[in-house]
Amino acid sequence: MSTNGGESCCGPGYASPAEAMKAPREKLLYTIAIYTGTGIQKPDYLATIDNDPESATYSQVISRCEMPGIGDELHHMGWNACSSCFDDASMARKYLIVPGVRSSNLHIVDCATDPRNPTLVKVIEGSEIKAKTNLSAPHTIHCLGSEIIISMLGDAQGNAPGGYLHLDRDFNIVGRWENSMGDIPFGYDFWYQPRHNVMASSEWAAPNTFMPGFDLEEVGHLKYGRRIHLWDFEKREPKQTFYLGEDGLIPLEVRFHHDPDSTHGFCGAALSANIIHWWKDADGEWKWEKIIDVENEPHPDWPIPVPGVISVILLSMDDRYLYLCNWLHGDIRQYNIEDPHNPVLTGQVWMGGLLDKAPEVNGVKVTGGPQMIQLSLDGKRLYVTTSLFSTWDNQFYPEIRTNGGCMLMVNCDTENGGMEIDPDFLVDFGKEPNGPSRCHETRYPGGDCTSDIWI
Amino acid sequence: MTKRAITIANRDNASYEVDAKKPLLDSLKALGVDLPYGCKYGGCITCAAKLIEGEVNQKAQVALNNRQINDGYVILCVARPVTDCTLEIGVESHDRLYRNPFLDPLKPHELKSDIATSEKVPSR
Repeated sequence: MSTNGGESCCGPGYASPAEAMKAPREKLLYTIAIYTGTGIQKPDYLATIDNDPESATYSQVISRCEMPGIGDELHHMGWNACSSCFDDASMARKYLIVPGVRSSNLHIVDCATDPRNPTLVKVIEGSEIKAKTNLSAPHTIHCLGSEIIISMLGDAQGNAPGGYLHLDRDFNIVGRWENSMGDIPFGYDFWYQPRHNVMASSEWAAPNTFMPGFDLEEVGHLKYGRRIHLWDFEKREPKQTFYLGEDGLIPLEVRFHHDPDSTHGFCGAALSANIIHWWKDADGEWKWEKIIDVENEPHPDWPIPVPGVISVILLSMDDRYLYLCNWLHGDIRQYNIEDPHNPVLTGQVWMGGLLDKAPEVNGVKVTGGPQMIQLSLDGKRLYVTTSLFSTWDNQFYPEIRTNGGCMLMVNCDTENGGMEIDPDFLVDFGKEPNGPSRCHETRYPGGDCTSDIWI
Repeated sequence: MTKRAITIANRDNASYEVDAKKPLLDSLKALGVDLPYGCKYGGCITCAAKLIEGEVNQKAQVALNNRQINDGYVILCVARPVTDCTLEIGVESHDRLYRNPFLDPLKPHELKSDIATSEKVPSR
């Protein structure tokens, strides 16, 4: 239950983005850690990290909630409820839904009963999801008021486009959320902005294409995405497609402004290493433009310059800053997007990557590059992990098998812009008790900058 | 039941009798062999092993490209043994499975079978 905003009766989350920014500092972090694809025959797990600077176990993993099987490849996750049900006192932000991309199992983890030691309470088997909905490969999770929708990247055989799984508040399968996929060839991430009756979705590839690993030739054979789709959210069907072409190869994370009245949204095109911006113009038409273009960088051993591979983007809760990671280059960038048409680079830090700019940070060899990020609600602390996806890690950063992943914290100047890696925070997943694991997405018990949507 | 003998070269040549009609992953797991796996339908490559000797039917796999097939990789969750086989299992067998796609691109005939040019598509 939230006590924010002075509301006497309210559900989870916050009355507004501005209220969310006043929330107490996050003292626990929940992070995915995987053994799938590493050679270690152990289950993937949800790691709980102590993030209270006053605590003796600050910046350490304090508990591990193991999944029941091996080979899930935990990846992204989401809360059962967010600020979209702030007015519903019967709801609480209590459960993380933690899917396995490869197994299609959905794990329901209770993070509220004992926040320092989350426990698995239910598994929705991939076989049940496939049988009831012909869907597989769960990715992004958003709560839709008290309901839950999950982008599923494949059909039961791992072919594109998949669709959207609809769960009720008790985690029963309702069925397919969408009424139509229209001409959409691929799915990946999505975000919605209900006041404008719009949802945006992006395109990775069919599970059978991206799961075994990345091949550049398959981009040329149109097996990877290059479009962003806008949906009629109430009708649950696509209504407009932006064909991005070479500017938008492999468009991944999709973010609308947190401000529920805004129409501005952003997407990182991983392979093109561009940021795409869209908005509803004064004439009522939805338009898009490329606002950031990360130059490919020369590498002594590479026949072609190295693309940045923007694996993630994120907006601060006040919508002033956009953060992006170049997973192959090794940098995180902070842009001021107060004018969303004209972003200004205000900060940059390096960790790992292929360009050898910062092979070691805080005394640990960073294997991989900056990948998933999560920002504190007040915008001041950015948590970064280094693994992308087991098979892709194995291709680009094979040493991650023995070194594991790591989590770092970046302090962000929200007044003037600027970023600095915190010298005292490091979680080295190379030293986990069962051997080197790889960390991925992070969430906080009180919500974060990629969970909460206002209706 | 038609039986096949499966030898695991990198597990001290341990040998197992399995049902020729069942996927190798299911049979070997049931016999106590610790194997990596993920999707269990032939799409995700996590369970790939290297076939050193013998022949399998892995028509249902969609994870491997033709270079990986030529290098001997088989997808255990769908592969059924046509003959007695010798395998290398686990990530120790993955030395040629993963490559940096920018440094070592595939030739047109080495792509996955649905997009490869017709030059010498292996039958395994």
